[in-house]
Amino acid sequence: PVLPAGWTAEKDFKPIGHLSHATDRNIEPVGPHFLAHARRKRHKRTFSEDDRI
Amino acid sequence: MSAENDPAQRVAIGISFGNSYSSIGFTTGEGKAEVIANEDGDRQIPSILSYIEGEELHGGQAKSQFVRNAKNTVAYFRDFLGKEFKAIDASPCHESAHPIEKDSTIAFKVKDTAEDKVNEVTVSEITTRHLKRLRNSATYYLGKEVNSAVITVPTNFSDVQKEALNKAAKEAGIEVLQFINEPVAAVLAYDARPEAKLADKIIVVADLGGTRSDVAVVASRGGIYTILAALHDYEVTGLKLDQVLIDYFAKEFLKKHKSAGDPREDARGLAKLKLECESVKKALSIGTSANFSVESLVGGIDYTATINRTRYDLLGGKLFSAFSRLVLHAVEKAQLDPLDVTEVILAGGNAHTPKVASTITNAFPETTTVLAPSTTPTAINPSELPVRGAAIQASLIQEFELGDIEQSTHPMVTVTPHLSHAVGVLCISGDESTGVFHAIVDAETPLPVRRTAIIATPREGGDVLIKLAEGARHIKITKPEPKPKKEKAEDDEDDDDSDDDDSEEDEEEIREKTWKINNVLSEAAIRGVKKGGKVEVQINIGADLGVNAIYREVGGKGGVRGIIAGGKAANGSA
Repeated sequence: PVLPAGWTAEKDFKPIGHLSHATDRNIEPVGPHFLAHARRKRHKRTFSEDDRI
Repeated sequence: MSAENDPAQRVAIGISFGNSYSSIGFTTGEGKAEVIANEDGDRQIPSILSYIEGEELHGGQAKSQFVRNAKNTVAYFRDFLGKEFKAIDASPCHESAHPIEKDSTIAFKVKDTAEDKVNEVTVSEITTRHLKRLRNSATYYLGKEVNSAVITVPTNFSDVQKEALNKAAKEAGIEVLQFINEPVAAVLAYDARPEAKLADKIIVVADLGGTRSDVAVVASRGGIYTILAALHDYEVTGLKLDQVLIDYFAKEFLKKHKSAGDPREDARGLAKLKLECESVKKALSIGTSANFSVESLVGGIDYTATINRTRYDLLGGKLFSAFSRLVLHAVEKAQLDPLDVTEVILAGGNAHTPKVASTITNAFPETTTVLAPSTTPTAINPSELPVRGAAIQASLIQEFELGDIEQSTHPMVTVTPHLSHAVGVLCISGDESTGVFHAIVDAETPLPVRRTAIIATPREGGDVLIKLAEGARHIKITKPEPKPKKEKAEDDEDDDDSDDDDSEEDEEEIREKTWKINNVLSEAAIRGVKKGGKVEVQINIGADLGVNAIYREVGGKGGVRGIIAGGKAANGSA
């Protein structure tokens, strides 16, 4: 969409709302992508930290 | 048995252990899953043990003992493991050794030694013997002593049952690395193929087995699977399909031989009918007609007949539609619509039946792919799906320490917040009522997540407003009256150009997927976008529901980044 005239925000970014609550579910401990997820979670790494390794 | 094998010396296989059939598989050096045939050449090995003069028969050989030696033949015992006697349904065992109560567990009375003595063998001992035979077959094939495995179990298998199975496996010399759920194993079998593309999709796994049918709705998000709903049914089964054929041939037999008795009332006649009808059913999945032939069915009369597929489809019609209802019910239980389903994976032996696949295909919209041999040429053999998944998982974790596997599968790791709504950007217009929502992260995606999408900007370029919002999927029903007003349905795929062109929907389409925007998260501006330029949007959502968004023009420098605080921290947002 085209930016309306006169729209301003600090650093051009304006937060408005928040995500609505999430539901807790069990993910299946299966497959290569889960293992990557478990590795991140156990070592408390973020995606970009994980990419670097 | 050693308590724990050294990971370096593990030889791990995948085992699918079913009530009717079991199979074993391994992963080759090139990472391809292969199903192992036993010494009889069977890849689907009947989960049956039979004893004759102290000799133990297994698989297909034991199955043929149903006729002559039914009392000393044990079958359909998987679901009895870790159960109390009063909790089980013994009806599938009616024609073979009956389960009896023994202490707090279940046993079978069989003459399993050369002596003329009936022993009570517990179900866990039977399981151990069965697994030992499977392990031996895999060992012969691989030429290496197999000592560990990943075993598939149904989603409603309790911890007590898993513990009992673990114990029985240990007795058989198998260290269980992990129990995985059958439907997830089936999904993994498909996703592990080299040609498979990683996508966010909703998959329904419909497993039509011998004594039970299980349907599971699985959300696949970036290769991570979450079971949204599961259904189990013990009425709509493969054995019931066999019964349809048994009744048909028994009636035909009685018409021809009026004086002879009903073969269903004779134990041996019924056993012969059962075995033959199962092979007739299998033949009808491949060919359009099949021969039925039993020597001395009842009263010394040989009986042969033929049946064609059309007749069988008619006879089994009720069961086929019951199965398709079961699948739709599972989708409903997951609070989804058939339109949300990307793929239906048919698993289990009875998924070979072409009519099962076509009935289910008709129950879903055209956008849903039904993966079965008769509908998709590249489909994997439905009988082999769970074992392939188990074999792949076994190769993935074979080098891990058992403690590491336990820690990784702990609820601390597996319980994860999932997005309740899709998050995406508004295209075309900034106004919520006319804007078109382009989902970047789907609902039910586990957090944390990172997704990148490329979206088109207005053709003339210039300054662009990017609005991040939450969208809820909404099924819009348009009546096909004079000129139905069409709202553009957005497919949640990553193809970006579809946002611009107003592709018309099929005229007959009545139900369609639309998005309702219910919560705007943020606005951001990107200035001076080139004509026809595209904007790359990357959003990171943390487990605390905090959003970190980066917007950048493709090929451009800089970009805008912003952070939305987590909803959990600042509760009370609209």
